[in-house]
Amino acid sequence: MTALDLTDAVRRPFTGRRVRFGDVSLQVVAGAAAAATTVLVGLITWKVIDGARPAISRYGLHFIWRIAWNPVVGREVYGAGSFLFGTAITSFFALLLAAPLAMGIALFLSELAPRGFRAPVTALVETLAAVPSVVIGLWGILVLGPALRTHIEGWLHSIFGFIPLFGDPSPAGASIFTAVIVLTIMILPIVSSISRELFLGVPHELKEGALALGTTRWEMVRGVVFPYARGGIAAALILGLGRAMGEAIAVTQVIGGGVFIHANLFGGGDTLASKIAASYQGSTTNLSTASLVYLGLILLVFSLLANVTAQWIVRRVARKHGITRGGHA
Amino acid sequence: MSAQGLTGPRLRLDHLARRRRVNRLMEGLAWVAAAIAIAILGIVVYSVARKGSSELNLNLLTKDPIPFSLTNAPQGLANAFAGSLVIVGLATAMALPVGILVAVYLNEFAPASIRNGVSLVLDILNGVPAIVIGIFVFGLFVVGHGQNGFDGAFALACLMLPLVARATMEVLALVPNSLREAGLGLGIPQWRTTLSIVLPQTIGGIVTGTVLAVARVAGETAPLLFTSSLVGTQTSWNPHHALQSIPVAIFELSESPDPKDHARAWAAALVLLLFILVASLGGRWLATRSRAKMASR
Amino acid sequence: MPKSGHPIRTLAVLAAVAAVFAAVAVGAGAAPAKHAGTTISGAGSTFVAPLVSQWISPLGAAYGYELQYSAVGSGAGITSITARTVDFGASDAPLTPDQFTACNGCEQIPWALGATAVLYNLPGVKNLLHIDGPTLAKIFMGQITTWNDPALAALNPGVSLPSTKISIAHRSDNSGTTFNFTDFLSSASPAWNTQIGRGVAVNWPVGSGGKGSSGVAAIVSQTPGAIGYADIAYALTNHLHYFAVKNKSGKYATPGLRGMLSAASSDVKPAADNSLSIVNPPAKFANAYPISTFTYVIVPLQSSKAPDLKKFLFWAVTKGQTYGPRLLFEPLPKGVLVVAEKAIAKIHS
Repeated sequence: MTALDLTDAVRRPFTGRRVRFGDVSLQVVAGAAAAATTVLVGLITWKVIDGARPAISRYGLHFIWRIAWNPVVGREVYGAGSFLFGTAITSFFALLLAAPLAMGIALFLSELAPRGFRAPVTALVETLAAVPSVVIGLWGILVLGPALRTHIEGWLHSIFGFIPLFGDPSPAGASIFTAVIVLTIMILPIVSSISRELFLGVPHELKEGALALGTTRWEMVRGVVFPYARGGIAAALILGLGRAMGEAIAVTQVIGGGVFIHANLFGGGDTLASKIAASYQGSTTNLSTASLVYLGLILLVFSLLANVTAQWIVRRVARKHGITRGGHA
Repeated sequence: MSAQGLTGPRLRLDHLARRRRVNRLMEGLAWVAAAIAIAILGIVVYSVARKGSSELNLNLLTKDPIPFSLTNAPQGLANAFAGSLVIVGLATAMALPVGILVAVYLNEFAPASIRNGVSLVLDILNGVPAIVIGIFVFGLFVVGHGQNGFDGAFALACLMLPLVARATMEVLALVPNSLREAGLGLGIPQWRTTLSIVLPQTIGGIVTGTVLAVARVAGETAPLLFTSSLVGTQTSWNPHHALQSIPVAIFELSESPDPKDHARAWAAALVLLLFILVASLGGRWLATRSRAKMASR
Repeated sequence: MPKSGHPIRTLAVLAAVAAVFAAVAVGAGAAPAKHAGTTISGAGSTFVAPLVSQWISPLGAAYGYELQYSAVGSGAGITSITARTVDFGASDAPLTPDQFTACNGCEQIPWALGATAVLYNLPGVKNLLHIDGPTLAKIFMGQITTWNDPALAALNPGVSLPSTKISIAHRSDNSGTTFNFTDFLSSASPAWNTQIGRGVAVNWPVGSGGKGSSGVAAIVSQTPGAIGYADIAYALTNHLHYFAVKNKSGKYATPGLRGMLSAASSDVKPAADNSLSIVNPPAKFANAYPISTFTYVIVPLQSSKAPDLKKFLFWAVTKGQTYGPRLLFEPLPKGVLVVAEKAIAKIHS
């Protein structure tokens, strides 16, 4: 029962004998705030499209898959292809690594952890989400990158070097590989915390019923929890994907930069977001600025799709299964 | 869904030993996953603490930076700390009232269609990447006028708004209708009921939401790169000019070749991390406490 | 029992808090700056940033100016002054005619003389390594990939070069230093000239990008086997090795004050737009370091801060130059100084 199930006389302050100035004022002011928020979102969309307009009119939709980025005056040509690829690769691999880890953590926190552990460990995992991306990036450049370079990249290259994926190790630790690890760390908390809530929301009768039939706990999880939470898990993964796509700062600090598409995980590259962060301040011509905003537009479209889809699924699943809190992102 | 409609493995009691082994393996992996997550957090915090402790002194907060210093004169990041305080403070002042008002409108006045619509708008706003917000504010305010602290604060406020609004909405929904009806039944107009009976119940939740939103934007770098990054080295509290901020300072120092710059970056990261951790954990503690209070009514 | 607040009181408190906040914000804006004196803000070249940073405190002591300089790269500096978001811009690359038009009434004034060092990180090799233009071009085009390549060995007889892979560091942002470096490569290597050319940003075939001269210096100092380019001041402050580069007379010159001065004497008469080109000077300048460059301050001819700007710039090209030699910026030669002062005098309000 919400506030709206109240009597008519209250819900319509405009009709009735005495129009209450206070009621009208509050409703107008509050409504203006809501309207302003809507206008804000529209303004953001419009401003980004407007800023990209010179590039859109020059390149059209071909920009999206063109693999080129040459800022040299006189030879200028721009395209989003390599950065779209970079975003896709880094997000895909980050999700690949984060998904099983997140499921494991969520299972641990909902099924396996002793009572006393649950709250503190949950808090710790959520704290990981609170670490700002610039700090993760700082740690990435100065600690993680060199460590990966020394211990892992060289080793992987020596064993699997015949696969183009494991080509020459990066000179200083700045590579797509490091960026993938950084992104994994950043999306892990979101995916695991949503999954944890989903798993906690599975009705006890179903779980106990399975256990009563003699399944092991893992079989119960596989047979009851996962299917029940299927939709929500998908939403959590999409939400993590959206977060990974939009991350600019930590990625630009560790990814090394580069325009050409290549298969080497240990080489440099750029994502849509990291390219904007790296090049915006130094952009000198109108076309290069507009092209960067065009990158932002593409990023905006994709991350909005991901976030809104995920939020919608989460809310629908939550409503279906009676969870009141709609999940945090 | 009934227990009989189980999907999954058929139960073969003769494979019990193997099933138990698989189960133990999976449980072990889950423990490992949780351990990995905690280990990562531990490693990051430990790195920051250890590398930042050498430059963590009063100079960090009170002295301005001296780029390309050829002497060993004491320097710090005073301009960044001052700037962050001003920018985040202004952002909170902008986002808090609007967020509360939006939540009040959606929860107390809006018909269902508008409520769903504006909720969707808030979700969309929440999903806009911070760097796109930076591009937006840059195009809207900075082009032609130059950077300043207000622009940076506005960009951060855009990021805070959905968090504050959602937190307020959640806690407004928890206020029992009996309170509203009691007020109205006594003849108190709706605006007064909302402001003096309903809202005071939600202060705890609003504070929590604000604290969590502040924790979120205190470390945001991308929007500030576009709106408040062309700064000088002297400390300023004046938001009419671009102000340095802690995340931008860390970002710039992280790309420097000088190990002393790195040390200062670690120290600033340590302070930032401590602030955010205290705010986040404190916010969540407040949330649990106020939810318990609401539940006990 | 729920508390019933006093709405008027709550609103009054909220309004008072908001009013205080607003007053502070407006007051902070309206009140004179915490430090008495004008703020002069500039942005641009990372090449000249070490020198400009040395000017901040003596300028404050002399005239009470608060000098704010953001080293965002020459390209961004030109953009900033064109948009008038700063009082002056700084660029090592002279403005193109298009940029002059866009800047709408700006002039460029040479205000420092420096050199781009070719940095490298080769632990274990203590000697000063030699290199020439064509070999450098081949390295940056990715055609020479290891340090013990015969071309490098030929230039450095008697030095045992390791077989380490060469990692290239270049600028990821629009940079006057890139312009200077590629200007030299284009002049010394026809292959480079046709395939890549000169510019504040080029299509680097290989290598990782660093932001600003600091970024390049960072990559080089953290990567064994790396090679990069940045103003010599960055090599000094980060203890990085640099090459001796062959000039047109056949001599191997280092990016020191003598090399810069010799190069500078190859072009004493600035063009109409005050630009000078001293890259790869003719053979008669036997001691010239071939990757030297003047660097320019870009100012609007008409500025509301004209008197302060002029004072600052006069100081910069005279007293300010004395801070240069420590960081290997050679003071402006007499002829260039005269041109600079004439140009500064043109600024009016």
